[in-house]
Amino acid sequence: MKKLSMHEALNQALREEMHRDERVVLLGEEIGKYNGVHYVTRGLYAEFGKERVIDTPISEESFTGVGVGLAIMGMRPVVEMMRMDFSLRAMDQIYNHMAKIRYMSGGRLSVPMVLRGPEGPGPNPGLTAQHGQQLTVLFAHCPGLRVVSPSNQYDAKGMLKAAIRSDDPVVFLEPGPLNNKQGDVGEDDYLVSLDHGEVKHEGSDVTLIGYGASVALCLQAARDLEHDGVSAEVVDIRCLRPLDMGPALASVAKTNRAVVAEYAWQSYGPGAEIVARLMAEAFWNLDAPVTRVSGQEVPLPYAANLEELSKPQVADIVAQAKATLR
Amino acid sequence: MSVQPQPPISGAAGLTPRQLTHRLRQMLAIREFERLGEQCFRDGLIRGYYHSYAGQEAVGVGFLNALDLSRDYVVDHYRDHGHCLLLGLDPEQIFAELFGRATGVSKGKGGSMHMYSPERHFLGGDGIVGGGLSVACGVGLALKRRANDPICVCFFGDGALDTGTFHESMNLASLWSVPTLYVCINNLYSMGTRVEDHSSLSQLVDRAQGYGVKIEQVDGQDVFATTAAAERIYQYMRQTKRPYFVEALTYRYQGHGIHDKALNYRTEQEEAQWHSRDPIQLLAAHLITEKILSAQQIEDLRQQIVSELQAKIERAKQAPQPDEAELTQDVLA
Ligand SMILES: Cc1ncc(C[n+]2csc(CCOP(=O)(O)OP(=O)(O)O)c2C)c(N)n1
Ligand SMILES: [Mg+2]
Repeated sequence: MKKLSMHEALNQALREEMHRDERVVLLGEEIGKYNGVHYVTRGLYAEFGKERVIDTPISEESFTGVGVGLAIMGMRPVVEMMRMDFSLRAMDQIYNHMAKIRYMSGGRLSVPMVLRGPEGPGPNPGLTAQHGQQLTVLFAHCPGLRVVSPSNQYDAKGMLKAAIRSDDPVVFLEPGPLNNKQGDVGEDDYLVSLDHGEVKHEGSDVTLIGYGASVALCLQAARDLEHDGVSAEVVDIRCLRPLDMGPALASVAKTNRAVVAEYAWQSYGPGAEIVARLMAEAFWNLDAPVTRVSGQEVPLPYAANLEELSKPQVADIVAQAKATLR
Repeated sequence: MSVQPQPPISGAAGLTPRQLTHRLRQMLAIREFERLGEQCFRDGLIRGYYHSYAGQEAVGVGFLNALDLSRDYVVDHYRDHGHCLLLGLDPEQIFAELFGRATGVSKGKGGSMHMYSPERHFLGGDGIVGGGLSVACGVGLALKRRANDPICVCFFGDGALDTGTFHESMNLASLWSVPTLYVCINNLYSMGTRVEDHSSLSQLVDRAQGYGVKIEQVDGQDVFATTAAAERIYQYMRQTKRPYFVEALTYRYQGHGIHDKALNYRTEQEEAQWHSRDPIQLLAAHLITEKILSAQQIEDLRQQIVSELQAKIERAKQAPQPDEAELTQDVLA
């Protein structure tokens, strides 16, 4: 194990997979000569050259489509969105092509591509309304995509490697707030499943469920709850489509209580799906209503105080967890 | 002190000495605003993004002074501080926005890329490259229904030509005969990528061909050239209700944004070359040669501007953060 930042872990994953498989090519804005705005592709242009690290103009819709074209021809493109917000420009290619070509062709074509980039309000503050959105649900809603989001540096590396090797189109959502944060990363060639979530912290009184950046909030809430004598278990959903409810259901069978935390807007969000699954599959195990702590349903505001208020708060997760125990 | 109007000077786009001095003042104000603003960022007063307009002043000065703000409108991209100043927004309110204060032009909710001033006919900076292009077509279409021949001016960078919406907007504006001027501020770089590396044709005017829209290139360092072009183009647009495309050749002095410090994608030689045709220096030299202002008077003017801006920064700093209730206001009507 080695301490690496999220972007360094992702960089290792890309480098290793590019060495392993020459079909892997990268496309995106400023990823090559400039070394990537969020450093994920640092050094790769120098190492692999312009045929494999392809700098694109600001043409998101079309370079995503180029990724689809490369993928159906047997390449393994990894397309970077400088920020996931800009994927809104590419939604036609993502929804109508990347996600559906396998099905529409009766399984005769597959689209082994990865679309990746940072989402949510970070790494730095002040990203404002068009650059710091958490759009997870837009992807998670669409059949034909695999949608995953790592919550730590170790998973980030193993999941990105697995995403590149997957025969499915994978939307790989990097938690922006964690981009520069450090954590342990394996130095070997390991994979982390794209099918399974995981318990990140064991506990017995209440289950805190998160995905991506909100897992860190749940872990902090669990530490705070421990001070108050409450033992919280933290489940990282990790795989949003197909959604793996296994660890969450097992955990709730034990704790009988759950709180879901997310950066996303609450209405119709991934948290809503998770709660609905708990209702359907864990109803008889529950001793309290399942509640959610989400981002405020507003465009990300600029002012420091408003930005902070707009984000999900650890204190609210703690309070909601305690409320389930009353 | 009253300055008597003087006859126009040849080679100065018909501007009077007083108008020339005013334009110099505007350019100095933008340059100093950006310098002080970046300092405020480093001091921790500003967060997120900061895109400096330094070096590009003559573009905005030419195209915005020639507008008639009683009827015309402006749609902008994220590099918007300079244009806000030229449209007469109070620097104190712009700083307050940058500081995230309740007195900011967008109540502190928008930040650097999202200044708005409907009163000053400024319909926004926009953080999405090319995001304003179709909006400006819509604004032009709305203006076309008004009686007094108004027009819309839309600013964007060279990078925006690579978006599909640029080409769609040009087609729509031409098809529907919309009085919108598309001003492509070609500062040679889209973030760290040189024009030749992001555009199939390096003459950007050539990429606006094919839509039946009149096009031209203008020297964006020369305030006389931008002024003359703007006046001629606006007259044509008011008469014909047709769109127009201008490529203004210029250079940004700072990085793409304040986080872009390395600037290793361009050479010192290139930077020096552009600095040697600095838009402010060019105008200042003209004013000195024509004995309209002395070098000392220009320096005094600059210092006066700096102290005015500093006072505004101090006042903006005193302004409160937005009320917490503002968080959920303005989402819907
Ligand atoms: C759709 C979209 N893609 C990418 C970005 C990120 N981005 C912001 S500015 C920029 C470069 C634009 O350069 P240019 O249009 O030349 O304008 P300049 O910054 O030079 O004024 C990029 C890639 C964005 N804001 N929107
Ligand atoms: Mg540019």
